[in-house]
Amino acid sequence: MTNRQPVIAVIGAGIAGLEAAHQLAALGYKPVLIEKAPVVGGHVAEWNRLFPDMTPAAEVLEPLRARAEGIKTLLNTEISAINRLKDEYNIVLGDGTTLLCQAVLFATGFHLFDASRKEEYGYGIYNRVITNRDLEQWFNTRQDSRIDHPKAVGFVHCVGSRDLKAGNAQCSKVCCITAIKQAIEIKEEFPDAEVYCFYMDLRLFGKKYEDFYIRAQRDYGIHFIRGRVSEVGEAIDGRVVVKAEDTLSGRPVKVTLDLLVLMAGIVCNPDARHYAQQIGVARDEDGFLESRNNLDAITESSRPGVFFAGACTGAKTVPETLAEARSAALAIHLYLSKRA
Amino acid sequence: MRERFASGFDPFVIPFLIGMFFVLGYCLVAMVRVIAQLPKDDRKRFLLSLIKPKYIWMNLRDIFLNCLIHVKLWQRNKVLGYMHSSIAFGWFMLIVLGHLEVMLFVPERIHLFYYPIFFNYFVAETESTVQGSLLMFLMDFFLLMILSGIVLAVIKRFASRIVGMRRTTRLSLMDRVGLYSLWAIFPLRLLAESFTAHISGGSFLTIPANWIFRQFLGNDLNALPTWWAYSIALMVFMCVLPFTRYMHIPAEMLLIPMRNAGIKIRHPRKGFASLEVYSCPGCGVCIDACPMSVQKVNCKDATVYLNRQLRRGDERRIAEISDKCLLCGKCSAVCQVGVQGPELRLAQRERRKYALSPAFAGLDTAALVSAAASGGGPGKVLYFQGCMTRLTPSIRRATTSLLDKADVRWQLMDPDEGLCCGRPLMMAGRTEQARELIAKNREIIRASGCDTLLLSCPICYRVFRDEYALEGVRVVHHSVFFQELIAAGKLQVRHEEGLRLVWHDPCELGRGCGIYEQPRQALAAAGELVEADRHHAESICCGGSLGSLTLSFGQRVPMVRNALDKLTAAAPDQIVTGCPLCLATFVREADRPVRDIAEVLDERS
Repeated sequence: MTNRQPVIAVIGAGIAGLEAAHQLAALGYKPVLIEKAPVVGGHVAEWNRLFPDMTPAAEVLEPLRARAEGIKTLLNTEISAINRLKDEYNIVLGDGTTLLCQAVLFATGFHLFDASRKEEYGYGIYNRVITNRDLEQWFNTRQDSRIDHPKAVGFVHCVGSRDLKAGNAQCSKVCCITAIKQAIEIKEEFPDAEVYCFYMDLRLFGKKYEDFYIRAQRDYGIHFIRGRVSEVGEAIDGRVVVKAEDTLSGRPVKVTLDLLVLMAGIVCNPDARHYAQQIGVARDEDGFLESRNNLDAITESSRPGVFFAGACTGAKTVPETLAEARSAALAIHLYLSKRA
Repeated sequence: MRERFASGFDPFVIPFLIGMFFVLGYCLVAMVRVIAQLPKDDRKRFLLSLIKPKYIWMNLRDIFLNCLIHVKLWQRNKVLGYMHSSIAFGWFMLIVLGHLEVMLFVPERIHLFYYPIFFNYFVAETESTVQGSLLMFLMDFFLLMILSGIVLAVIKRFASRIVGMRRTTRLSLMDRVGLYSLWAIFPLRLLAESFTAHISGGSFLTIPANWIFRQFLGNDLNALPTWWAYSIALMVFMCVLPFTRYMHIPAEMLLIPMRNAGIKIRHPRKGFASLEVYSCPGCGVCIDACPMSVQKVNCKDATVYLNRQLRRGDERRIAEISDKCLLCGKCSAVCQVGVQGPELRLAQRERRKYALSPAFAGLDTAALVSAAASGGGPGKVLYFQGCMTRLTPSIRRATTSLLDKADVRWQLMDPDEGLCCGRPLMMAGRTEQARELIAKNREIIRASGCDTLLLSCPICYRVFRDEYALEGVRVVHHSVFFQELIAAGKLQVRHEEGLRLVWHDPCELGRGCGIYEQPRQALAAAGELVEADRHHAESICCGGSLGSLTLSFGQRVPMVRNALDKLTAAAPDQIVTGCPLCLATFVREADRPVRDIAEVLDERS
């Protein structure tokens, strides 16, 4: 082994990539962050506040960004190919340059399900139908002609998750709690609006989530209706008519809303699958990248030198992602030390 | 010409006689049974058709063209066409010419069934007369034709790809016995006739063969055993025939007149259904055609295997095959005999036992009826979206927008809520419940007073057209309606140069209702129409069909991808269809835009 610092390519500069790069640098390696977008921060940078404490997303992101300051970061950079060499990886970047690295960390994150694919919900067809991301952007910018003092707002859970027709059988995990968070924020913004959540069942597994849900009902008067939305139509005045079945009362319900928010689910980033395929990293049945095992090697792939952090292996919360980023940095450290 | 044996008999004809009497007796009993099993009105209709000159001519023509010449098979695959028609027509001609010979030369023997078959054994004829040499020549010619067909059949059995079939059926034991005995008959006949050619005469095939054999055999001791073998091969074939796929030969001769008389499947097992089952030649063309066959595990669920299981009576497999099918109808479209795979399966589904059945007769539709009555009237178009269009709102939006642009007065039949058209229930074998819904919907349509019923879903369209009996109301699919508006100049559609559009024929619209050209004409107004690898009656089901009761989403994915693959062979920019279910199915897997025809037209008008 030469004195050369081992180079580690970190694909994606979202929170997983930033945190892992920082940890790797601290361990004495040379991480290189490769980011397709012009800025770092990934999805969290687009978000306004985070559950369950309503922490501004910037408060989480800023320290991560600051700590990654000195790390080599390639923005606006696509990857055109990855090759596996004997015990190294050769990454061909969009501009034709190559990066030789001893380990690759996938921090490629997720893609939000394209809600227009569930045409029956009318996204892209009816003006008053938006997605969770659109709403979050409105919280950031306050600019969206579709949101104009709504008196009745609905949230549809599980749009493109737990949905075989959409090709995604898996649960996106964070949408239940995000819907509750956004419902509360809408209620805070428009106190006289009626807010409805249409859910299959609520999966509130994390710390403080259940309290959040109880508060949403008790303190904010948000209506939770158990049943999938069957159909969304448009009334003559442009408002949306939502039909669902309230499976608790066993009756069909119909409400007319000023705004309908679709909780688009989480699917694997298609780029990640594309890169993974080139170096023989398998994808799981759910379309995400496949870990060596799902108990004690979630950050490791079946290929030596390829590691995962964050939502590239499945839906994750922010704390889970950060913990995985640190864990992946340690796994890489162990791998490289063993080789040395 | 002289008879070789005064008695006109030799024991070797006995096996042949056994076989022939058995098969004739069996077929006669089977025919009487099938006719007896028909419902009374069908039976009357069928028997009456047999004495009408128009039908007699039709029946004779169809039997000649289909059973002997195999015209449909020729159109599909020249090699297979030749193979089948050479055997069927050649054999037929051998029998006819055999009778001709007997009638010409020994008319007093015509009452002996075996004489025309074994003529060359019993009668020595020289080729010196014109009649003799001509008949001998023809006999050899048709024998050669059959033998060439048999050679192809052997090749097909062991290497089906050479004759253009990817998959062929796996034969049952009985089928094998039948097949090998059929293969044996004609080479044995050639041998037998060759061994006696120097006595009884022959032609270009049998005389040289005789000469060759005499070079190293030198005596006639082989002749009789070979005639025995020929007779035994005939017996084996005829005795196993009723239990093999070769039953299709006699069955089809009854099927054709019955179909011409308009008889349909009315019972899952009896009468016409059983006749269809026995008419299946087991060729396996439906295996390659079936959209489910992209997965090997489904190959055993093609119509040919349904027919086999129906003959065997394996109830578990019958139910499995019947329930799995997408009911796309492609097997019927490619079937040489025209066995109605979907209809046979639907009849089986009606035997399904459901634990609970919804009751629709009691549904309160008063509000829907009065809403329809208030807005409708003659000259107005009643537009029924149906459940699938309701789930694809952009289709409804484009359709109503086009209606407005063409100044058509319209109203929705199901603006807020509506009833199911009934087709999904029919597909599930719940005809009774479907009838209840049909009655309810008919009431709403009648109340509206509209004289046109417009559908943007072919599933609805088919059931409204075929099952609703809406005299005075024109039932029309939106693709046809828009094509007419364009042709009449009421809709102006901008043509976009270089926009390549491919039309996917939805099963229910194309094979189901025979609508192929109008949507293509309408699309041609909007862009450049290209064709899929398989189109019109051979179009491949999108894989999303409601027809299948058991296929899961995951199991359908390979079918969807295969259909898309074939659909995009000509590199279209957009895939266009006229069925919201096909659209929703394709959108999930397609790599390019999938649109409804209404959307494409609406964008450019």
